[in-house]
Amino acid sequence: MSQLRDPAHRVSPRARTLWQLEAAAEATFTIAVGVVAALFWLPGGALRWALVGLLVLVCAGLATIVPLWRYQVHRWEVSPTAVYTQRGWWARERRIAPMSRVQTVDFAQGPLARLFGLATVTVTTASAAGPLQIDGLDQAVALSLVDELTRKADLVEGDAT
Amino acid sequence: MSTDPTGTPPPGSPPPPPPPPPQDWAPAPDAPAGPDEPAWQRLDPRMLLVHPITELVKFLPVLIGLLVAGGASGTGPWALLGVGFPVGFGVLRYLTTTYRVTPARVELRRGLLHRHTLSTPVDRVRTVDLTASPIHRVLGLATTVIGTGSVATGEDDRLLLDALPREQAAALRGRLLSVATGEPGPDGAAGTTDVVPERVVARFSPRWLWYAPFSSAVLVATGAVLGTAAPLLESVELRIDEEDLDFFSPALGAALAAGALVLVAALAVAGYLVLNGGFTLTRQESTWHVARGLLTHRETSIDVVRLAGVSIAEPAALRLARGRRLTAIVTGLTGSQQASTVLLPPAPRDTVVAAAASVLGAPEPASGLLRSHGRAATTRRFTRALIGSLPLVAAVVVAVAAGAPAGLLVLAALVVLVALALAADRARSLGHAHLAGHVVARSGSLLRRRAALADEHVIGWNLRATWFQRRAGLVTVAATTAGGDGQVRALDVPEDDALALAQAATPGLLDEFLEER
Repeated sequence: MSQLRDPAHRVSPRARTLWQLEAAAEATFTIAVGVVAALFWLPGGALRWALVGLLVLVCAGLATIVPLWRYQVHRWEVSPTAVYTQRGWWARERRIAPMSRVQTVDFAQGPLARLFGLATVTVTTASAAGPLQIDGLDQAVALSLVDELTRKADLVEGDAT
Repeated sequence: MSTDPTGTPPPGSPPPPPPPPPQDWAPAPDAPAGPDEPAWQRLDPRMLLVHPITELVKFLPVLIGLLVAGGASGTGPWALLGVGFPVGFGVLRYLTTTYRVTPARVELRRGLLHRHTLSTPVDRVRTVDLTASPIHRVLGLATTVIGTGSVATGEDDRLLLDALPREQAAALRGRLLSVATGEPGPDGAAGTTDVVPERVVARFSPRWLWYAPFSSAVLVATGAVLGTAAPLLESVELRIDEEDLDFFSPALGAALAAGALVLVAALAVAGYLVLNGGFTLTRQESTWHVARGLLTHRETSIDVVRLAGVSIAEPAALRLARGRRLTAIVTGLTGSQQASTVLLPPAPRDTVVAAAASVLGAPEPASGLLRSHGRAATTRRFTRALIGSLPLVAAVVVAVAAGAPAGLLVLAALVVLVALALAADRARSLGHAHLAGHVVARSGSLLRRRAALADEHVIGWNLRATWFQRRAGLVTVAATTAGGDGQVRALDVPEDDALALAQAATPGLLDEFLEER
């Protein structure tokens, strides 16, 4: 019995640090909101600070571990006839689209990602049910991937619906 | 009476000023202006009757105010001016709106000061809908809405021709849709309305009214009843005093409740009848036509090439009445544009299944046996339902422990029972199959539906599994497509079955991503 394997390529290892930074920023914000809320609505004393401590612990833990987990899951592969991506952490989502149905190929780079030399490639089809997205690709790899995908998608006739 | 001043000029005598080439007044569909370019045409002159009436209705509150004010202060002429404005607007709208259909494009120009030109390539036309309000119907007119499936659907950005003579609108529709699909159809020549006889697949029967009280029409009716009853009750409440309270017995309460139920059901039936009276689903050449409406008549068309599949809605209430509802999954029509994808309103199960079989070209996707998702998926339905009811049960237990009446425990038990019943039904609903070239999936309980998507319209696969699902060897598999919700989803499919489904529907696509276990 055969089964679907993981896509062949991992994303850039630098993506872990980038994602951790982004997660840390989010965690800091959440903690700040939590502390303010605790100061206003929770009765003073040990309970208040125990809850805040718990929040800090959970946020820090998630910000450290989730990006590592994500890196274990995120993979991609392009064959002559199809694009295959895998992303997520708790929920793993695999997406496969035939090259003949590819409509657009996007290359996107946020300011932080640019510092790290990373980029996101998004492949859309005519479906509203979600594009195929590859986060944390090395910039050079991403550019050549966009080239390759554009070339291959161009070879196919029709409006890809 | 109200349309007297300018509303009804005999069609032969055009008002003088703007550019009126004479042929505008006798709409000859393709009267050429230049060597190739068809002339800009006006809409049907009978709209000179319709516009003033509709404008008058819009202006009615203002007019009544004016008349009252005019009557009070004795200034009659002002009231006449009030009538003149809407009528003038109507005439202006007629004079400033022109359209033309060239072999390549459909163009619409409108506006007096703010000129607006809409233009769309003919081969982008996805739908052509004809609507006729009672006024339109009396005059033999039809409003034509040309849909391109574009995201911009603002009122101003729609290609709306209001209105053309009924036959001309139908001819335009046939022409646009045949061009859009690249099939040789009745080209340009005027008066080619009669081509191939229509084949009727389903026709309204009074029996269908039975399903109205079990459909979502009930929600609308309930809203209407509550909306009108609430202010009434408020005003009644003022008059009820203590001595009246003896009068309010349980029997009266029951009678009131029964009355409300009957009223809601009657309203639902009436709404259903107005919306769906005279419903027909017909096939003409390569187009499906849906016509419905007792007062305002609506006709929508779906091209066979764009018909990716169907979705049979089987909500719990409708299942109780042995009814179903049928919608089409149409390439290029998503979200808000899905209003024009109704294939059958709530109707008998057998009618819907037969219509679905006819639309899909095979009976199996509509009625064939589905493969159940097995024990693990069933277990997941029950654990999820029980976990969902947990917070309420916990709250009740805590409340009782804190001194609330023990009778509340019955409520908790009731919640758990309902959750279990839902879980059982959801587990029974789960199913998928590959039947006669279609991906078929069914899920849900209160809003159960069975969707069938033709293989050639599958444009990718999404396989999603949480950690729990992976542990149970399950995956939620979705065949993506360019219409409807964008996907047909089978919930919690065993991994091997999911793979088999994908391989059957898109042979070869997955081959290079497989490995031996």
